[in-house]
Parts: sequence; C-alpha cells; structure tokens
Amino acid sequence: MQVMEAQATSNTDLDQAREVLVRLGSAVRAQVLGRDDVIELALIALMADGHVLLEDFPGSGKTTLAKALGEAIVDDQQVNTRTSNVPIAPFRRIQFTPDLLPSDVTGSSVFDASTNSFHFRHGPIFAHVVLADEINRTSPKVQSAMLEAMGEKQVTVDNQTYALDQLFFVIATQNPLDLVGTYPLPTPQLDRFLFKLTMNHVERDAELEVLNTWQQRRDKQSKKIEVGRTEILQARHAIDAGVFISDAIKTALVDISRALRVDERILQGNSTRSLVLILPALQVLAAMRGRNYVNADDLETLLPHVLTHRVELAPGSSDFVKILRDNMRAPMDHLARSTLSQRA
Amino acid sequence: MSIAMNTSSTSISSTHLSDNRSGRPVHRLIRALILAVACWVLSTPLTTVGGSGAAALGCLLACFWIDGQQRSHTLLQLRAPALILLAGLLVAFSAYVSTLLTNSTWLAGSIGALPLYQSAQFVFWFTLAAAITITLRHTARRHAWGALPELLFVASAFVITLAAHQRGMIDRPYFIGDYALIRGLDPTSILMAIGVGAVLALAVLLMMENQNRHLPYHVGILTVLCFSLLFYVQFFGLPSPQLTNDLGLTGQQGSGGGADPDNPFRDGENNASDREAPVAIVLFRDDYEPSNGAYYFRESAYSEFNGRLLWTAENPDLDPDLVSQFPSSPIDVSGEVPAQDKRRSVTTTIGLLTPHRSPFGLDAPVRFETAPNPNSLRFRQTYTVTSLVPEFEFPDLIGRKAGSPDWTLEQWAEYVQMPDDPRYGEFARQLTATLRPEFADDPYAKAMAVKAWLDENGIYSLKNEHAYATDPAASFLFGDLTGYCVHFAYAATYLYRSLGIPARVGVGYSVPSSNRAGGSALLIQAVNGHAWPEIYLEDMGWVIVDPAPRQTLVDMSVEPQDSLQQLLGDMLRDDAAFQAFLQDRAGNAVINWALLTRALMILTLSLLALCWLIKIYRLRCAAWAAENEQYRLVYRAALDTLAAHGERRRFGETREAFARRISPQLPAFKIISDWHLAAAPGYAFDASLAMAGAGSQQRISGHSKQQWSAQFIELQTQLQQSKAWWQKTLAVVHPLSWIKSR
Repeated sequence: MQVMEAQATSNTDLDQAREVLVRLGSAVRAQVLGRDDVIELALIALMADGHVLLEDFPGSGKTTLAKALGEAIVDDQQVNTRTSNVPIAPFRRIQFTPDLLPSDVTGSSVFDASTNSFHFRHGPIFAHVVLADEINRTSPKVQSAMLEAMGEKQVTVDNQTYALDQLFFVIATQNPLDLVGTYPLPTPQLDRFLFKLTMNHVERDAELEVLNTWQQRRDKQSKKIEVGRTEILQARHAIDAGVFISDAIKTALVDISRALRVDERILQGNSTRSLVLILPALQVLAAMRGRNYVNADDLETLLPHVLTHRVELAPGSSDFVKILRDNMRAPMDHLARSTLSQRA
Repeated sequence: MSIAMNTSSTSISSTHLSDNRSGRPVHRLIRALILAVACWVLSTPLTTVGGSGAAALGCLLACFWIDGQQRSHTLLQLRAPALILLAGLLVAFSAYVSTLLTNSTWLAGSIGALPLYQSAQFVFWFTLAAAITITLRHTARRHAWGALPELLFVASAFVITLAAHQRGMIDRPYFIGDYALIRGLDPTSILMAIGVGAVLALAVLLMMENQNRHLPYHVGILTVLCFSLLFYVQFFGLPSPQLTNDLGLTGQQGSGGGADPDNPFRDGENNASDREAPVAIVLFRDDYEPSNGAYYFRESAYSEFNGRLLWTAENPDLDPDLVSQFPSSPIDVSGEVPAQDKRRSVTTTIGLLTPHRSPFGLDAPVRFETAPNPNSLRFRQTYTVTSLVPEFEFPDLIGRKAGSPDWTLEQWAEYVQMPDDPRYGEFARQLTATLRPEFADDPYAKAMAVKAWLDENGIYSLKNEHAYATDPAASFLFGDLTGYCVHFAYAATYLYRSLGIPARVGVGYSVPSSNRAGGSALLIQAVNGHAWPEIYLEDMGWVIVDPAPRQTLVDMSVEPQDSLQQLLGDMLRDDAAFQAFLQDRAGNAVINWALLTRALMILTLSLLALCWLIKIYRLRCAAWAAENEQYRLVYRAALDTLAAHGERRRFGETREAFARRISPQLPAFKIISDWHLAAAPGYAFDASLAMAGAGSQQRISGHSKQQWSAQFIELQTQLQQSKAWWQKTLAVVHPLSWIKSR
C-alpha cells in the first residue's frame, strides 16, 4: 500500500511538473517563433540541470531564447531561506571576446573606501539563465573559469568560494563558420554541455510570422507568464522521483556507447559522464510527453543531441548520426524484444 | 509534443552497397554457376563434349568479366540494340573463323581432322555463350525487368532437358535414365530433384536481383514447398501420357479437337507428335510368337450397322466374345471361342499406362481377372488375360463355311448388313471373279482375294480426306484409295459382307512381333492403335484378315523402346522382384534412399503441421490466459497478424516507431502497442517494486481482458479493410508467418 501511495503522490507531483514545463514552454514560445524543437531541448536541459551549446548563425534568436527563458523565471524564495543575500538576476548575457578576463565573468573583490575593506562584487554569472555568447572567442583561461562554474555550481575568487544558485542554466553559443581567431573548445570541455544543438534556419512560414508579429511581441510586456524558481526546483524533484527508467533502457544506453567506442569510424567514444547526464534528460522528455516511464522513443530522440559533440570521428568519416544509427540498431532491437519476454 | 530530429531525413534502412558492381562476390559466383550450367545443358545436344564445355567456360568467364566492371564501363553504357548487334557480329565472326578452321586442308593435315573440328567447335561455342551471357547480364544490370530474360534462359534449359521425359517416356532423357537404372534408382526421383533444384536456382537468381537479406529464409520456404510437391506426387500420382489419336480406344476425349466419339473416321487431328507415347505394357507368361508377324490385341469390335456405319453392337446377341467391363471378379467367355484344339492358351498380364474404355487382350481373349497393381503411380489398371491364340494352318481355314450354324436369322442379318450401295457387291464380285474354280465359293479365299487387292492398290496415309463423306469407306474405296487402317478395315468389312461373309471391324492394338526383342515384355505405344477386318468361319471363330497396303506415304515406324519396355516390364512383373532388382543394382548401399525420402516427407509434413499449430496457438492463447498476461499475449498475437500481412518491425526499429509507422492504416495497433508498453514490467515500471506491493495486479493489467480482445478484433477489422485479398489469403495460409514477427 505504501508503494501505491507513493505512486499516487508522485503522479500528482508529476502532473504539476508537467504543468510547469508547459507554462515555461509557452512563455518562451510566445517570444521565439519557429524554434519549437530547440525550445523543448533547452527546457529539457534546464529541467535536467544541464547546459546547452548552440551552434548557430548570428541573429537567429539565441539571445531572444535565453532572455525569454530567463525572464519567465521569477525569484519566489522567502527572504530568510536565501542562500545568499544578493538578489539573483533571472538573466545575464556575457559576450566573450579575446580580451575578457575571468574576473569579468565571475566578479572580483573591490576596495570599498567607505568601509575600508574589500568586498566581492558578483559577476554576471550569478544569474538563473546565462547566455555565454561566442564562447570560443575568448581565451582558454576564461573558458575554464566558466566551465568550472557550470560543472561545480560555484565560483572561487581570491580563495573564497561563492555558491551559485541551484537553478543555474547556461546557454553558450558558437559560430560554426567564422573560425579565425577563435579558441575552439576541446572535447573534454564540450563534455560539460548536455546538448549541442545545431540549428538550421527557421522555415519560411515561421520566418514570415516573425516579421509579422515582432512589434506585438516587443510591446507585449503586460501579461507575462511567470514561473517561480521554487516551482522549477520542485518539478525537478518530482520528475526525478516519478519517472521510471528501466534497466532495459540503461542496458541499451551502455550497449550503444560500448558499440560506439569500438566502431572504427570513431576515434574516441563518449564518456560515462554523458550517460549519467542523459538520464535526467530522458526523464524530463518522458514527463513532457505525458508518460511516467522512459521509453525507446525518448532514447532515440535525445541520443544524437547528447552524443554528437562528445565523440571524435576518425579521419574520413563525417556523418556521426549515421554511425550512431548503425550502432543503435542491435541494442534498440534487443530493447524492443525485452518487452515481450516473460521475465522482466 | 514532438521534437523533430534534425537528421530524420537520414533513413535507417539505407543499406546500399558501397560499390556499384552487381552484388556481393558470393552472389556473383552463384549466378555465374547457374548460368554456366544452363549454357552447358542447352549446348549438350547440339555440339561435342568439348563444345559444351567451352560454352560453360565462356559463360562463366563472361559473367565474371562483366560483373566485375563498374557501371560506368563503356560496354554497360551501350543501348540494347547496339549491344545485340555487337554480340551478333561477334558470333558471326566466330562462326566464320570456325568454318575457316574446319575447311583448311593444311591445318587438318598438320594436326588431324578430329582435333581441328573439336577446336573449331570450341571457338564457336565459347564465343556464342559469352555473347549470350554478356547480352543477358547487360540487360539485367541496365533495366528493372532485366532479370526476366536471364530467368527465361535458365528455365528453358531445364524445360528442354525435361521435355524428353514427357508422354510417358520415363526412361528419357537417356543420360539420366541410364544413370538411374544402373544405380537402381527410379529416374523420376532424379528428374524431380532436378526440377526442384531448378526452381530453387531460379528463386535464388530472382531474390539476388532484389538483394534480399532474407535469402536463407526464403530458400527454406521454397524447399518446404518443393518437398510438398514430391509428397503430392507420391500420393496422387503422376499425370498419364496425353494421346490425341487413339481410335477411341481409351474412351478419352481427344485433345486435338474435332474428335467425334461416334465416328472412328473423325478422330481428330492425326497429330503424329505423340505417337511414341507408351499406352500399355504386356507381360507374357507363356512364350508365343505369332505366325503372321504381329500381335493383335482386341479391345472391341464394330459389328452393328447403325444406318450410317458399323458401330459397337447394342444388340446383346451380337459379339458375346467381347468384354466391355474391367474385371472385378474373373470374367470367362471361353465358351464363345470355337476350335480350341487348334488354339493355344497364352496368359499375359497387362498394365495400362493410360485409362482405357474396355480391357483388351491378345486375340482371342477368353478370361480376364484382376492382377495386383505393383505401382499405382505408374499403372492405371492391371489385369491378367488368358487368350486362346489361333495356330491355324492354311488348310484349316480353306474349305470352311462362313458364319456359325448356331446363329439365328437375326444374327446372320446383323453380321452382313451394310450400306445400301450396289458398288460394293459389284466390286467384290469383280475382285473374286478371277479365283480359281475350286476356290470360287470359298469364303476365306474370297476374303484373301479382296485383301490381296487392297494390299496391292491401297495407299497408306494419315491424311483423312474422307471423314466427312456420307460413307467414308465408299469415298475411300471408290476414290483415291488413300487412307489409314480405319478406312481399310471398313472398306474390307463391307466388301466381305457384300459377298455374304459375316465380318466385323476389330479395334485394338497391333504390335510387330519384332518389338518384343526376345524379352517377355511388350510395349504398346500409341502408334500401335489399329483397326482391322475379321471374318467368321464355321468352327474357327473370328479370323483376322487384315489388309496391309504396300504403298505408304508416311513413315509409321518408330524407334523401338527397348529400355523403356524392359523398365516398365520389370515394374509390372512384380513389385517385390523389381525392388529386389533395384536392391541388387544398388548393391549394399549405405543409405536407404526410399526410406530416407519417405522419412523426409513425413518430417516435412509434420513440420508444416507443427508450424500451423504454433501459429494458431499464438493467435488464440490470449483467450484462456490470465488477465495480467494479456498485455504480452495480445500484443504478440497482433504482431503475428501484422507480420502475416507483411507489416513487420524492421531491425533496430523501436516498438513506438513501428506503431507510428503503421498507424495511418491501422490506428488500433497504436493503441495496443501503447497499452502493451505501459504494462510491460521492467520497461514502464519497476517490476520488483510492483511485485512487492499488493497492488501489483491492478498495476499490471491496466486494461481488462474484454478491452484487450475488443482492441484486437478492431485491429483485425482494420486489416480486413486495408489489405488486398491476396495478402489476406496469404496471411491465413502461410505456415511460418509468426517467425517473422518480432
């Protein structure tokens, strides 16, 4: 009976979490048109406590996306429960340039003449949603500071560690074409991003819609949809507890990555961390699709986005998605067969 | 919500081959071998051993060469007419070269005539086979229908080989028949094995064209079907030889068209193509050699004049010596045959290869009884006949009175009735006028005079120009005197009757005694079908007086079928003896082929039955399973049904994707699939946790048994509506459809 009760409670929690997702999605979708796939993946990353790397052309709506996401989130914490007494901005944008310094990102201690002491000025990274624009244009030093913050959810300045908020979500972008004077991110650093999304130009009708409605969207500030920070964190917990990932799915995941590692077209396979990171993302996607279990569809949808930037292809091969499909076939078939076997 | 994959355009099933040559090396090798065998088979009867070997070699090399070329090769860019022209020129050139070779005297002088001829054949056949192969492969690779000529080519090779076997020539083709008989096998099984092999070869060719991945599976199915064919033959027998010209002996409607069962003159086209067909085999239990050089087998006789011509007597008083029914119990008519002291009893056993209207026997048959049929596949009917064969000397026949003193006036009248045509009488008297005075009144002498005149003046021909005259016999006799046995028999019978001699037309078979070739078996072939006149002499019975025209326009001789005669004779003689003969020939073979074949057949059949049982069980078992097993069993039944209709989850395709793919036509399956996945333990929820709790039942069976079965019925209804009739039929019949469901 305890099981049943637990199931029932988590089901209602799951419904609430789904409702939060829907609200967030509609808030962003009101601002960004024709990018539903990216919005959903960004939401998944946000919910799964991951980060997103966008490869896109300038002016394709990255900032709008990040801003809409950040502005939809409001700080609904009780003042006394706050971890820091500094109010956290919902959205910050950092433009990465070659002459940027780590302190420009994290913040630095400044001397206050009135109190005759140093005190820490929080950098732009202290926000719920951070847009790290053109992350490959800055020096590796800044990049690693940024990535540490992403991985550890904390910033260390002058041996003093400052925690970031639990709801911390980075959307980094890089230009895929203009590579002169850039510091490309090495694969281990790319590993910290949950998704790398390659966006294509929006479709003709969506683009037309963007032109038709840009004034309304610019002026429409009054009836904004808002989602509380606590709500999002609760939703995270609800999804984590309420969406079931079967051993069969996990087996398929491991089998696929093992197959990829021995494929001769691939120089270096994906890390174990990537498999750990994908699990919450799968749960979120399942919840989004109205299920309380992860199925093979979810796996098929997310795997390309999660793995593309984590593997190094051997010289001569270029189409990772095809290689992935080839290697997925046997484990996915095994997974499909598992549902008919008598013993689970 | 759906997240479109960026790369959804990349098809999962795009497994195209990396190179654009034709198929994998193994496939190429198999195809080349099949084509080479076909070339060899086709060329064997046309050339020397070396020539046919060259044909196979040329085909093989050409196959390898052209299949190894890239598609961009110049030859493969040519259009079909250009290529055919090129191939034709090549063949013409090689024919010219080989003619030059054979005709050159100094070459013949230096290396000998025979090697020269051999090498000329080699050159010609090598080039011919290579040209044909290149043309075939070229077409196959350039066009979608291109595999068709290739298939026809291979099929024709097998058909031509096996064509010799038709019409009951079961010892042909000789090279197979001899091989089989020496080793003690039934040639039929070898031929069937060849046929099965041909079917498989063709199927492999066909499937390779589609680069089908499930080749072993399809070959397996075809093998099972072929075995079923063998099984069918074992049970229902082989087709009997088809005859078109049988004088109405077999009671079959001739297939040549235009045959009139009531008129022996209108017996259809005299198609001589099937005249070699074996009709029956006769086994002599007593030695007997006829003095007149031919065995006469009487089946029936035409003795009653029906106003138009002579026909089978309906008057029961006539012809009591004839037996029209096959014996179920012994039939004895020996009382009807006189002069038994001048006759000898000869017993024969007759096996009919084609069905007959009445039993026949050596003249004069007196006792019919059934005989055990040793091979019901081969023999339609077997019976034993005791005949009282005449051993009359000339003095026995001369000076006898015509007719029997026991006959009533009506019988007398019937036996001399004839068309109301005075020309017969005048002509007969004219013919018998030259008899010496001592024989002037002798019936036998008169009959012989008529026969001698017909022998001298008649012309034997298969052309039947009298068939539609009112009286064909008169048209023949007073016309061009050109006709075949029926004309002679009727004309002679009318002439005899006009002289007051009781006469009738006997029908049956007449086989030259030389055909027996010293053995005890005699083969009756379609060409032996015969009609002859016979007269009744007092105390002698019916005596055959058969005109044999000296002039003939057709060659009615056929090759003696000694080996076939012996083979059939051995078959009929005694099954056990034949088996012993086979055993003897086979020696102490390690493998008992007959037993093995039978065992294989039973195995195949029981496998088929088992497959069907499994199929039905998998479809129906959900009905009596527990509620918490429904999710699995109903889903599996649905998968089986879909697989039977050709809808099948691809390898690597998820259950969800499969359901989505077919949901436009079959929305019910999407629902079943969703229910199934949501209820699958270890997939949708933690099985151990659910089992631990008391609510496991409620958790697993989210839907009741009725809901499951209703959904399954809904799926079947949708299938009924969306599939073609042949798909539905195949779905029901296919024994192995469930193997394909995954």
